[in-house]
Amino acid sequence: MNSFSRRGFLGLTSAAALGAGLSACTGGGTSTGGGATQSASNDLRLFTYEGDETIGLLKAQIKKFDAQNGTTTTVDSLPGSGAAVYPDKLRTELLGGKGPDIWRIWGGQIGSPFAKAKQALDLTPYYSKYGWDSKINTAAIGGMTFDGVKSGVPFVSLGIGAWYNKSLFAKAGVSAAPTTYAELEAVNDKLVAVGVTPCGLGGKYGWDIMRLFEYLLEHTAGPALHDKLLTGAESWDRPEVVEAFTLFKKWQDKKWLPQGALGLDPADIEPGYVQGKTAYTITGPWTEAAAILNAKKSPSAFGNFELPTGQKPARHSGFVEGYMINAKTGNADKAAALLDFIVQPATQKAMQISASTVKGAEPDPKALPLSAEWSQKYGSNPFYTIQDQAFPKKQADQYFSVQSDLLQGSVAPDAAKKMQDIVSAWAKS
Amino acid sequence: MAGTVALKRGGRWSPWLFAIPALGVYVAFLVYPALSSLWFSLTNWDGLSASYKFVGLSNYFKLPHDPVVVTAVKNNLIWTVVTIAVPTAIGLLLAIALNGKVRGKPILRLVFYTPAVLPLVSIASIWGWLYNPQYGAINSALRAIGLDGLAQAWLGQDSTALWAVMVPAIWLRTGFPMLLYLAALQGIPNELYEAATVDGATKWQQFWHITMPSLRPAHYIVLALSLIDSFKVFDLIYAMTYGGPGTSTQVMGTWMYFNVFQYYQAGYGTAIAVVITLVAIAVGIPYVRSQTREAS
Repeated sequence: MNSFSRRGFLGLTSAAALGAGLSACTGGGTSTGGGATQSASNDLRLFTYEGDETIGLLKAQIKKFDAQNGTTTTVDSLPGSGAAVYPDKLRTELLGGKGPDIWRIWGGQIGSPFAKAKQALDLTPYYSKYGWDSKINTAAIGGMTFDGVKSGVPFVSLGIGAWYNKSLFAKAGVSAAPTTYAELEAVNDKLVAVGVTPCGLGGKYGWDIMRLFEYLLEHTAGPALHDKLLTGAESWDRPEVVEAFTLFKKWQDKKWLPQGALGLDPADIEPGYVQGKTAYTITGPWTEAAAILNAKKSPSAFGNFELPTGQKPARHSGFVEGYMINAKTGNADKAAALLDFIVQPATQKAMQISASTVKGAEPDPKALPLSAEWSQKYGSNPFYTIQDQAFPKKQADQYFSVQSDLLQGSVAPDAAKKMQDIVSAWAKS
Repeated sequence: MAGTVALKRGGRWSPWLFAIPALGVYVAFLVYPALSSLWFSLTNWDGLSASYKFVGLSNYFKLPHDPVVVTAVKNNLIWTVVTIAVPTAIGLLLAIALNGKVRGKPILRLVFYTPAVLPLVSIASIWGWLYNPQYGAINSALRAIGLDGLAQAWLGQDSTALWAVMVPAIWLRTGFPMLLYLAALQGIPNELYEAATVDGATKWQQFWHITMPSLRPAHYIVLALSLIDSFKVFDLIYAMTYGGPGTSTQVMGTWMYFNVFQYYQAGYGTAIAVVITLVAIAVGIPYVRSQTREAS
């Protein structure tokens, strides 16, 4: 071999190491999806983010469905990944291969891209076939309807509230849940006075600590204005928003949030109220199974309440989750049959769904007393869209960036102007 | 003889015939994806839809106007300087120490090199716990010795987050230069030091006039590979801070990922990827040329 060839090869191998950078960065060439229908079979694959504590219940029900229908359904889960990671994995699966036949997903702006890109099947014919419109909560269906197309079947509609540790409340001399915002602030002060961090939230991904800000905005702006702000119909550059930002900063400055909350992982800090590290957190009914029962604690040691807004109607933050069917699946009918099976009240009960969208599947007070209590007390209250579902992820991240700067003191509460820039740019697009 | 005949029969194409399998893999898994990415960077593809439009260089023109890109470039530069200079200096010092008459040399070598082979996600988790503002070992240690004022929310504020992530990066990147320098040190003839000692050179003079010049090829390899590595930083930032608080610790790698995978702006994200790659190639060319020169 002449010297040119040898050098050429060495150059090629060295260049390969560099070229790897680009192909690794971007995942390389991909099928852009759409249109190609896979062949029908009796094999289904369902992709979910079910946690370890509930995945067994789902698999048991799916096994039951398989036995009745002659199908074989594989269930894959990415537990604990949250909305920050799971959609990426799903997207990669859809582009890199045939993807799952069915996937679980959040509603609003998290599920929206899959519907808009036509990766998710239009389920309107199946809504008619199975009568889902009359069986499932109408507002929840709205959360999975995009541009008028029903792209998902919501099975859970979750309300966000305060979940607290009774013994820590008692330690601070708090005997009842606060019913006004002023009372909530007083509770926080009492907790700090006895050395307890009141509200356990983490800002690592933005969405968790945002739950506090959205509550403060509901309190200062009220339902009508809050809803208009979320759609860009009203300017954010206004006193009500400035007031919400001011209160948000106050929560940190008065140590009502954990030290360094912005850098904390929600998965670490949220269960703090169960471990006795914080007095309460802002979360949904899934916490009863995921945090309380998982830690082998008695639900009677804990309680929940709707964060008091002082507004009428009293509302809490909420969101829906459901299932979508792959537009390219060759098993659409079987997949839809499985979804119909999942939204049956008996199945929902067996899966211990704590906030089902289906009538007759209310949580069992014996198995999930706190979830049942939440459902009875606040389940019928209206809710406003949780803010990481109200905005596309890019805008939600920009929104959280403003909140992050505010908590660190690098911007003043009049950062409301910045928010207006973000929302108006999105509304225009 | 038979081999020579066969080679003649194949003529000048023989070497290429042998190379075809490897080149095939290279083209399929590197060249094609890289060219696809280059194409997508010229489109407005969202990363999910079946259709997209050709937008020319507009994604590239957007880059300088993106405030996060400015932050990311600045962070990349800081990251590059710190995570090359510090591990290289520590690696060199460790190599010199281990090159002497030290007891338990193999064990020490293993101890210093171990972080380099640990999974990055594990490292991120370990350090995430160490940095926990309330219960982490770092703040606990500071409080224990009366330095309460220095206890910080290390990952929870813009002023310290990037620096805090660089500490584990330095920890895990020290082993590689240490091993390279150690190998290079062992190749320096002892006679050079003996002659210098006879001539009355001090240890310091010997270091500057014998050790450092002899290590030039090792310096070059360490610098080039560390530089390429630094531009590709992604995993530690993603796992420890997720680019936050806000966007304060975003680097080009994470910002590319956010755009491609989370914001459904695959065209724009791949433009960022192309820029990262071009920078890495520009940095890598001298290294590639030196390697080919050495080989020939």
